[in-house]
Order: sequence, then structure tokens, then C-alpha cells
Amino acid sequence: MYILTNAIKNLTRNTGRNVLAAAVIFAVIAAAVAALIIYNTAGGVIADYKTRFGSQVVISVDIDKYVGSNPPRGGQSAMALPQVTAAQSISFADSNYIREYTMRVSKDVTGDDLKAIDEGSGGVFPMGGNTLGDFMLTNNFDDFESGMRYIKDGGPIMNSGECLISEEFADLNGLKTGDKIELFGSMSNAEDGTKRTATYSLTVAGIFYDFTDEYPGMRMPLSNKRNEILVSTETLTSSMLEGESGLAVSAVFYLKDPQMLADFEAEIRGKGLSDYMAVRTDEAGYNRIVAPVEGLMGFTLTFLIIILALGAAIIALLCSIAIRERKYEIGVLRAMGMKKKRVALGLWAELIMISCLCLCFGIAAGTLAAEPIGNTLLAEQTKAAQTPDVPRGPINLNNPRGTEADAIPPLEQLDIRVGTPVIMQIIGMTVCLVSFAGFVSIGKITKYEPIKILSERN
Amino acid sequence: MKAMNIDGIDKPENEKYVLSLKNISYKYEKTTKNVLKNVSADFETGKIYSVIGKSGSGKSTLLSLIAGLDVCTEGQILYRNEDLKILDRDEYRAKKIGVIFQAFNLLTNANAIENIVLSMQISGNETRDKTGCAYGLLQKMGIDKETASRKILKLSGGEQQRVGIARAVSNDPDIIIADEPTGNLDTETESDVLKILTSLAHESGKCVIIVTHSKKVSSIADCVLTMKDGGLAAGK
Ligand SMILES: Nc1ncnc2c1ncn2[C@@H]1O[C@H](COP(=O)(O)OP(=O)(O)OP(=O)(O)O)[C@@H](O)[C@H]1O
Ligand SMILES: [Mg+2]
Repeated sequence: MYILTNAIKNLTRNTGRNVLAAAVIFAVIAAAVAALIIYNTAGGVIADYKTRFGSQVVISVDIDKYVGSNPPRGGQSAMALPQVTAAQSISFADSNYIREYTMRVSKDVTGDDLKAIDEGSGGVFPMGGNTLGDFMLTNNFDDFESGMRYIKDGGPIMNSGECLISEEFADLNGLKTGDKIELFGSMSNAEDGTKRTATYSLTVAGIFYDFTDEYPGMRMPLSNKRNEILVSTETLTSSMLEGESGLAVSAVFYLKDPQMLADFEAEIRGKGLSDYMAVRTDEAGYNRIVAPVEGLMGFTLTFLIIILALGAAIIALLCSIAIRERKYEIGVLRAMGMKKKRVALGLWAELIMISCLCLCFGIAAGTLAAEPIGNTLLAEQTKAAQTPDVPRGPINLNNPRGTEADAIPPLEQLDIRVGTPVIMQIIGMTVCLVSFAGFVSIGKITKYEPIKILSERN
Repeated sequence: MKAMNIDGIDKPENEKYVLSLKNISYKYEKTTKNVLKNVSADFETGKIYSVIGKSGSGKSTLLSLIAGLDVCTEGQILYRNEDLKILDRDEYRAKKIGVIFQAFNLLTNANAIENIVLSMQISGNETRDKTGCAYGLLQKMGIDKETASRKILKLSGGEQQRVGIARAVSNDPDIIIADEPTGNLDTETESDVLKILTSLAHESGKCVIIVTHSKKVSSIADCVLTMKDGGLAAGK
């Protein structure tokens, strides 16, 4: 007990030296805290993205494999690439591994009495023996959510068989809400290839202003955004009979757990997914977002190691100087009959007490510093990661507008997390570091017989 | 020898002495010359011994070995017939022997009271009011409360010496060894200190060993030993 009270007294007896030691320990702790917090936060962010991107399944044509076994022959069109059929998509979604899914369905159609914007331009392209229609039926309402489209007349779709059309399209054809339009799309039997014409009798439920880019693709009626006719998923899927193909479907599946990818793939291959289709997670999107964070993590880890190594060296040096300075005191204590262990314990207690004070202030300072430092570093990493030519993932014909990862901007701000684990880590590290540094020098000095320590006093 | 005869049986001759030196030799680390050569002597309780000799003859070295600050290179030092080499020397220093060092060896950053209280704490002294006890001891040495609360660094040589004496006796040890205990004192204080040491030997039955150059100190000793060429001989 007296060892402790004596240690406390010693702290006040040697203020000058202790303040110096405290300043160094404080600096090491503050830097380590900041680094550790940034490191842990970055780790958390990565884990979070891993679950998010790791769970999003992308099904796309494995171009290398396909070209490898089907070398392009003259006249063969790229459109003959394997596809995930609408029926397959729907069956894939019915899986125990799937948490949720989104399904984009579209169908090119023609209309006898309807004029299309840009009609006559671009010409008509053959597609697997069919002719492409002028209009695109789609169930993609994203532009309404983003505010690029909003309803001018009428209201949203309430029932199957209703549709929304753009203001330009309505004007061109003199349509208003409540009007009926008729559209035709070609379906083919998957077995024998026989054709059938599906008829869509739609009621205009609403007319919308359209501020989207009119030509996201080629300048032709089908790819003109103003010619899009929005309908419900059911309107589209109900037009296709069993065993038919003809709808363009792109589905995004979200696994319950990224680990289930292999099982899910096995299941959907069993359900008839072509061997030329690759099943993977969105690596490109993942990398784009996670690379800066990983860079940051690597950087802070290096920094942390340097800080700890350097800190350990400085603290060890400081300890050995301080203890050599106190050689005489140690000699006196030993001469008075104090056991080596107790002398060491007293010195160690002093070091630990200084460290605890430093811990309080160091953790506070490090925590405050972590956020601005982390964000500055992250900005650097993001800049470095944003090469203009980001390599894209495998070509995804069914989903030309990219996956969800494209919609998530790279991280700009670290949401600093200081949990008990970080604090425990810091306390553990400090105690280890200081104890190690202390014991090295304490061990050295108490090794000698007191006569030696005392006789070397001057 | 009353302490030894607890059960009334006469102890053998070699247990008569509280301290015995048996042919001890000593040389400092990394030196070749023996500072002490074949020194033998016996010390009884209740007596004052003075050790005299030229400067550099090895007096302080001898005291250090008796104090258990190191072990001799050859021979044996027996405390109550037990070899110091085997004994727990920390325990021995803390409880059995009180040392007044030539260089005082006090904790210079602490005050006199703290020095004495710490010494009592180290020895496991069970006195409740250690501070009060320390004040009492210092007062006996002619050190007042104000001086006792000053840092050792801010005390004169003579004051430090007296604090050293107070510390040496604070744990009621069997043996008290003093290296030039009156070297920094005026004649009046020297007399006071000598009176205290005499009473410790003759009344409290301690074994007091004093290294000194002073004729006056030697004159009160029951036995005078002379250090010469690393050897110790009885008489002047
Ligand atoms: N730490 C040491 N290392 C090596 N030699 C030492 C050491 N301390 C003392 N000596 C030598 O040992 C010899 C005896 O020294 P010691 O201090 O015992 O002399 P002393 O009789 O006490 O002298 P004084 O009367 O001046 O106090 C001296 O020659 C001294 O130089
Ligand atoms: Mg001497």
C-alpha cells in the first residue's frame, strides 16, 4: 500500500521529468487513438459495403467463355448472346437464398395508329428475325423517384392495363388521360420458335413532364426516352404465355448473406441458367467505393505501426533516462531494505499513473482529431482512386444502365465510431507499451547489488 | 547476550556474537586488488566498536558488507550464526541493521519525516503513528518540525547526518553501523550524538560499530579496531 502512496508522492516530487514523459506518452496515445479509430471505422465501412455489395448478385454474359467456344462467324449478330429469360428471372427470384430482388421488365412494341418521336430516323434493325418496335413498354419508374419525370395530368397507375406517357408523345398523337391505345409486341415460342403477336390494350392514366436525357442511346424511336410507355410489371408479364420468350427482363437479386453466392449459383444453374452466364457480385462497384477506404485503412495501419514502434522506442529511451537518473534513489531504497520487486512495482505504478492521465487526455484529443484527419486522408485516397477510366465489370446486357453500386457515390465522410473496444485496445496497448518500456529499464537497474548502485552515484 | 538465552540453555561459543566475520575478502567489480583481505572479527551486543584507519583503507567497504549491501568475495559474514549470503539480505537490511552512511544516502527529493516513515514502512514496522514516531526521533537528534518538513536537499550536512542517524535507529535494529557519524557535526552536537549511540549500546543492548577518525569517538568505544592494508586488527 505504501508503495502506491509513495509512487503518488514521487509524481509530485519530480514534476519536471514527469511532465516531459507525460507529453511524449500523450502524443503517442493521441496519434495511436486517432489511427486506431480511423482504422476501425474504415474496417467497419468495408464490412458494411461487403455485406451490401457482396450480397448483390449480377448475372451477366461471360464474354470470354462465350467467345471462346463460339468464335464469331460472319453474319452472326451480337444479339444472339445468351440471355436470362423472363421466365428464368422469375423462377430465380423464388429462392431461399434471396432476401429481396428488383426486376426490370421491358418490351418493344408497335402501334398501328401511333406516331413515334424521331419516327423514320435510325431505321429498323433486325433482332433475331424480328423487327424492333418503335415504343418501349417498361416498368421502370426510377425517373419519377429521382424527380426527372413528374405527372402533369391524371395520376399514377392504379390497375393493370393502365399506362403513363410523356407530354411530347401525348401531344404528337393528340392523346389525353382516359384515352385508349393499342400496342403490339411479338412473342415467340421458346421450343419451336413460332411467333405470336401479343396485344396491349392500355388506358392513359397520366401524362408526365419528362426532363430525362432524350437520347441515352442511339438516335432512333425505340431508344428515345419520350417514346417510353410506363406500365405495371403485371401488365407486361401477363402478356407472355408459358414457354414463350420476348420480354426483356433484368433482375437484381440480393442474397441473405454474401456467403450464399455459390449455393445460389448452383441452384439457378439447376433452374436452367446458361453456362455462358456468369454469376457474381458487383466487384467493380465494390472496388470503386471500397478501394479508397481500403487505402485509408492500409495507410492508417502503417501509421499505427510506425507510431507504436517509434512511441515504444521513445518511451523506452525516456524510461531508461528517467530511471538512470533515479539510480541513486533506487540504491537508497534498496539499501533501506526494499525488495527489488517492490522497487520495480513502485516505479511501474508511477509510469502507469502518468499513462492513465495521458490516456484520458490522449483519447479525448485523438477522438477529436480522428474525424478531420480521417476525412482529409479519405479525400486523398478517393482522388487517387478516381481514375477517369474505371474498368467496368462484365458486360451486362440486361441492365445497360448499370447496377445499384453505380448509384452510390464514393464515400466522402467517415462516420467516426468510437466504441468501447477501441478504448480497451488503446488502454491495453498503452499499458503493454509502458510496462514493456518500464520493465526493461527497471529490470536493468534492480539487477545490481545496492552497493554498486550507490557507489556509482557520482 | 540475554536475547540469545531465551530457553536458559547456554549457547555454544560461536552464538555469543551477533556478528562474526570469518576470513572475508572483497574486491570491487572490474578491479584486481582486494580491498579487504582475510578479515576476521566478532561483535557482541551491548558494545561500542570503533574502526579506525587511513583514508582508502577499506573501512566503508567493510561496513557495506556488514550492512548486507553486497556479499564478500571470499569468507563468511554471520549474523546470529547465519550466513548473510544465504539470508534474505533485504529483510536483514530493513529490520536487523541500521546504517548511517558516510554520504547519508537519504532520499533527497523527500523531507526528513518522509525518509524515516518510508524506512519504517519498508521494514514492516507496526507502529501506528509513524509520523509522530519520526518526529520524536528527529527531535532527539535536535531537528525541529520545520527542518523536518524540508526537503533533504535543503538541509545542511550536519542536519542530514542527524536525519540519517534517526533513520538508522527507527526500526530498532540489533546492529547499528555508522560511517563517520560525527564528521559534519560541531563538538556540542557530536557529544549529543555520541551520548545517544552510547545509550543505544549500553542501555538498549545494541551492537554499535562506528567508523571514525575522531579521537573522541574512539575514546568512548569498548573496543577499537584498526584497518590496515585490507586487514583488521584489535587495538590502535
Ligand atoms: N565502487 C568502487 N569501485 C572500485 N574501487 C572502489 C570503489 N569504492 C571504493 N573503492 C576503493 O576501495 C578502497 C577502499 O575504499 P573505502 O571507501 O572503503 O575507503 P575508506 O577507508 O572508507 O576511506 P575514507 O576514510 O576516505 O572514507 C579505496 O582504495 C577505494 O578507491
Ligand atoms: Mg569511508
